[in-house]
Amino acid sequence: MRTTSLRPIAALISFVALAACGSKGGDPARQYGADPYLPEPHDYLLPPMSVPKAIGWNSGEMPTASAGLKVEALATELEHPRTLYTLPNGDILVVESNSPGTEAYRPKDFIAGKVKARAGAAARGGNRITLLRDADGGDKPEFRTVFIDHLHSPYGIVLVGDTLYVANTDAILAFNYQPGMTRVTSPGVRLTDLPAGPIDHHWTKSMTASADGSKLYVGVGSNSNITENGMAVEEGRAAIYEVDRLTGAKRVFAFGTRNPTSVAFEPQTHQLFAVVNERDEIGPDLVPDYLTSIREGGFYGWPYSYWGSHVDVRVHPQRPDLVAQAIKPDYGLSSHVAPLGLLFSEGQHLSPAFANGAFISEHGSWDRSPLNGYQVIFVSFVNGRPAGKPISVVTGFLGRDNETVHGRPVGLALDRSGALLVADDAGNTVWRVSATQSGT
Amino acid sequence: MKLPLHRGFIGAGGILLIAAFGTDYAYYTTSLWQWANFSAWLITAGLILILVAVILLLIDFATGRAGRLNTGSFILVAAAALLSLVNAFVHSRDAWTSVVPQGILLSAASTILLLIAGARGWSLAMSRATGDHP
Repeated sequence: MRTTSLRPIAALISFVALAACGSKGGDPARQYGADPYLPEPHDYLLPPMSVPKAIGWNSGEMPTASAGLKVEALATELEHPRTLYTLPNGDILVVESNSPGTEAYRPKDFIAGKVKARAGAAARGGNRITLLRDADGGDKPEFRTVFIDHLHSPYGIVLVGDTLYVANTDAILAFNYQPGMTRVTSPGVRLTDLPAGPIDHHWTKSMTASADGSKLYVGVGSNSNITENGMAVEEGRAAIYEVDRLTGAKRVFAFGTRNPTSVAFEPQTHQLFAVVNERDEIGPDLVPDYLTSIREGGFYGWPYSYWGSHVDVRVHPQRPDLVAQAIKPDYGLSSHVAPLGLLFSEGQHLSPAFANGAFISEHGSWDRSPLNGYQVIFVSFVNGRPAGKPISVVTGFLGRDNETVHGRPVGLALDRSGALLVADDAGNTVWRVSATQSGT
Repeated sequence: MKLPLHRGFIGAGGILLIAAFGTDYAYYTTSLWQWANFSAWLITAGLILILVAVILLLIDFATGRAGRLNTGSFILVAAAALLSLVNAFVHSRDAWTSVVPQGILLSAASTILLLIAGARGWSLAMSRATGDHP
């Protein structure tokens, strides 16, 4: 049914695409690392797209792991799982969530809604956190229960001492947590508000805590692709906040990060890093999404410029003063991969190759043809900085024809044994990736 | 004498497309995003009304409500509709370049064509009775 309703749109898309030049993306490898290839930006009548149809996983189907690793389903039939978090006792929390919903402001938004639905991004989120427990030392959690219910588009989650912080789209809530708890019954205390509606275009609020636990860091996405909803609704958005854990006092720590969907501290240097989703609709190879260290007070370009001082002419009026101070990100991941999860490896549980660096899940998007992302990669770190080319770790989320999508990777976590957990929101599954050899 | 059905819809659609030039100009001078949104809706709605008018024109021909095609007016409206269709895609871009420069140039061009068509009475067909403008 979805295919039928999209057919006229697809026909129109291919008609206009014929007229467009430069609509096919090149080799993503040109955009990896510190100095990515940046083509000239294009204005399109219809931006290049490729919308895979979400078909889920049949029984027995699963993603593919690189050599020496195996994949198994840890939990299935979840409601749009996004973020994963392992508690000290080994319990695994699964944040099931999706956008609170946005209204159509323009004729374009109706079509965008259909595109989203086809690609499996419009499913209702559970607005809850599910707890998975493996009590008998096996790989499969035999116990599963709703840990916290009735949340409001939750995403970020972090435990500090005996307090569990959950970042809803509009506020950070603090819950009392005792080891072994299977259900939180006390209502959450509102630590601080976060920028949310109206619109709430990039709704996820990623979150982590400093090593000493005194501060929380929260990634807040922009309220548009490129200010098409006006500058007023961008107040306080596209930024990374520092929140005092005890008082809730907050300040903008860094800004110009269009959609910082995951924030994490590098374990050796305790430097804050983020993965950031960059802007769409100026070309299949613009703008590379990136991994970067986050400097206090730093400006990372959005909306006025990208990758340093490359001005985006869609923004009016411009701010040359800000463009002049825009920081070049550390490491390009190539364009439209949509990095959503960032996890430092903390040791060589899976393989010596993954001893020092970060896993990044690439959710993939439809803003590029051919598609890019739809995998979990690993980026090595040398002296606390990303280095070398990324390695594909988990693939096979796309169908072989590249026109269907089984699942899309989002949140990442390590379980107690050091296996890599991958939340898959289009496939409603949590995957466990472990070494074939060791007994873990 | 039966009046042609299509004429009022050409006028209504044409006026919405002309109004889009006004909202484009407002966006150009103020950078206020809501004006660009108005333009996108006006162009979409204008094109839908023109499409309805074309269907009614065929009915007018079939039922004898209209005589032969008024070629001059038809070309004016058809050109304005084609420019506006392209403009609908230009207006689907995000922020400034959805209007400046191509969007507002396209709405200005279709406005000129539609003002002439309006001055010619919006009808795309000759009246059957006289072979002249109805």
